Amino acid sequence: MTKVLFVNPLVREEDVPRHVPYGIALLAAIAMRDGHLVQVYDANAWRLGEGALREVLGADDWDVVALGGITTAYGSIKHIVRIAREVCPKTTIVLGGGVLTSLPREMMGWLPEVDVGVIGEAFKTFPEILDRLGAGDRAWPAVKGTISRGPGGKLAMSPARELLHDLDSLPFPAWELFPLEEVYFPNSQVLFSEEGMLATRRLDINASYGCSLICRFCYHLGIAGDMRYVEGKDGELNVEFDRPGAYTRVIRYHSPEYVVKLARHAYDRFKINFIGFLDENLMTMDQSSNRVWMREICRLWKENGLQPSYLRDGSERTESWTGIHWSGTSHATLCTPEILKEMRSAGCSHLVYGYESFSPQVLKRLGKGSTPKTNIRSFFWTLEAGIRPIPNQIIGFPSEDFDSIRDSMGAWERLGIVVKPFFATPYPGSEWFAVYRESIEEQHGGDLEKFVLELGDATKITAVISHNFNAVELLGLRELMLMKDRVRIDEYERVWRASRKIPAGHPSTLYRDPSALAVVGG
Amino acid sequence: MSKLLKGNFEPKKPVNAPAPTPETLEGRFEREAMKRLGGSIAYVSKKKVMWDLKKKD
Repeated sequence: MTKVLFVNPLVREEDVPRHVPYGIALLAAIAMRDGHLVQVYDANAWRLGEGALREVLGADDWDVVALGGITTAYGSIKHIVRIAREVCPKTTIVLGGGVLTSLPREMMGWLPEVDVGVIGEAFKTFPEILDRLGAGDRAWPAVKGTISRGPGGKLAMSPARELLHDLDSLPFPAWELFPLEEVYFPNSQVLFSEEGMLATRRLDINASYGCSLICRFCYHLGIAGDMRYVEGKDGELNVEFDRPGAYTRVIRYHSPEYVVKLARHAYDRFKINFIGFLDENLMTMDQSSNRVWMREICRLWKENGLQPSYLRDGSERTESWTGIHWSGTSHATLCTPEILKEMRSAGCSHLVYGYESFSPQVLKRLGKGSTPKTNIRSFFWTLEAGIRPIPNQIIGFPSEDFDSIRDSMGAWERLGIVVKPFFATPYPGSEWFAVYRESIEEQHGGDLEKFVLELGDATKITAVISHNFNAVELLGLRELMLMKDRVRIDEYERVWRASRKIPAGHPSTLYRDPSALAVVGG
Repeated sequence: MSKLLKGNFEPKKPVNAPAPTPETLEGRFEREAMKRLGGSIAYVSKKKVMWDLKKKD
């Protein structure tokens, strides 16, 4: 029996905490199922600072302090592991999640306090670590999917851990170990739809893992079959993700029965009225299942009494209802009008679409499998189904140019889209990161950790990958796009062309296909 | 009083959340002001949008 303290690090500090960390909630449930002693400290929810953290770490003799999170939690994780090592010198510190998986060797170098890193999915690896610790065994290289420190501090990567295919064997997330009433339920609101705005008790569910698409900006960090173990020129094992022409994918999803049973459990136990599906792309799963999966979830949603009451009764939408509204992520090319209508009838209120751009050349190079036409088609299908489409946009693509900016502005105007675009960001684990790594490091004085510390939710520029525009230009152009100021954009294009010696009439671009360039570290 | 630690056993030393301190006017002002600077946004503003796929987009 192992005594484990999970610590959820801070993330998106500019906003209130909104999401129970799903991965930690699942791992805590697995650890309890396996008979271990578990406590959770949700530092992101409480946000109480170092004093509280020290008190928590000193509250017991922990065998394990376990942390995980996405890459943008790195700054908080760095702080927590330093304090943890100080307060609990003999405790084994385990780090997992996307933050470790994206750059395992770098992370273990930057965080000397971490004893074991879990690379990729932790559903099998983490319980094995706990079991071995309980038996007094610390031979980490024998545990698949880990990185640990050998003699002299040399890092040792064990063989890759296989993915869990029977997802329904997972217990339900241990939501009860998080401050739902104190923190999460008061922050339930999601301002993407009227129903989301009225949500007062929201939880999130991850019904599937992976995505079939190869968007250059996206990253899956091992849970989508996208990770490969490769031996570098130095003979050392490392992980590799998407690279130009090298993509691997594994699609996995829970059964509709599991998904709806979990939703019903959340409804009965926590009295929720909204669920956010965290899935990367619900429509990938629907397509992979020959259009059975989503339809079956909707059918069972209704059969189990989870459909919002006014939809069931065919009455007007009011501000109070029984049942659960829900939201998720869709895809322009993979959705169908039929499934969208089914989803609405089961309570779907809004769907996030990564439309990204309305420029044909940008979308063609993105690997998303969408076009301006499919973007627009899905937009109307979704509206017609009674669901709000959330039309996310990005600026600063490698091939972004003045024409692509105008293409997007034109579509926003015609479709009534109000949007402040994200900045194209090369997150570790994405193809863009692999392609532009050298440039990213250069932009941070050769210090990759500085870049990782700066990473946020892509609302700020952390590294420029546009071939045509620098950070100042991108910030200015985004502002002019928001103000619909075509005149000043035209004016600036003339200045830009003159400085780049590109005459009028020629394409306004310096873009060269990066797949023709050598990939750093390849 | 809320427990900072939640789990399946009682830790040796219980750790409770401190009583929430009322927000200062300055703190509230800065929080509200930050919202005006904030992040990304995406929504559809038109009630009625005409759909003509034949048009060049």
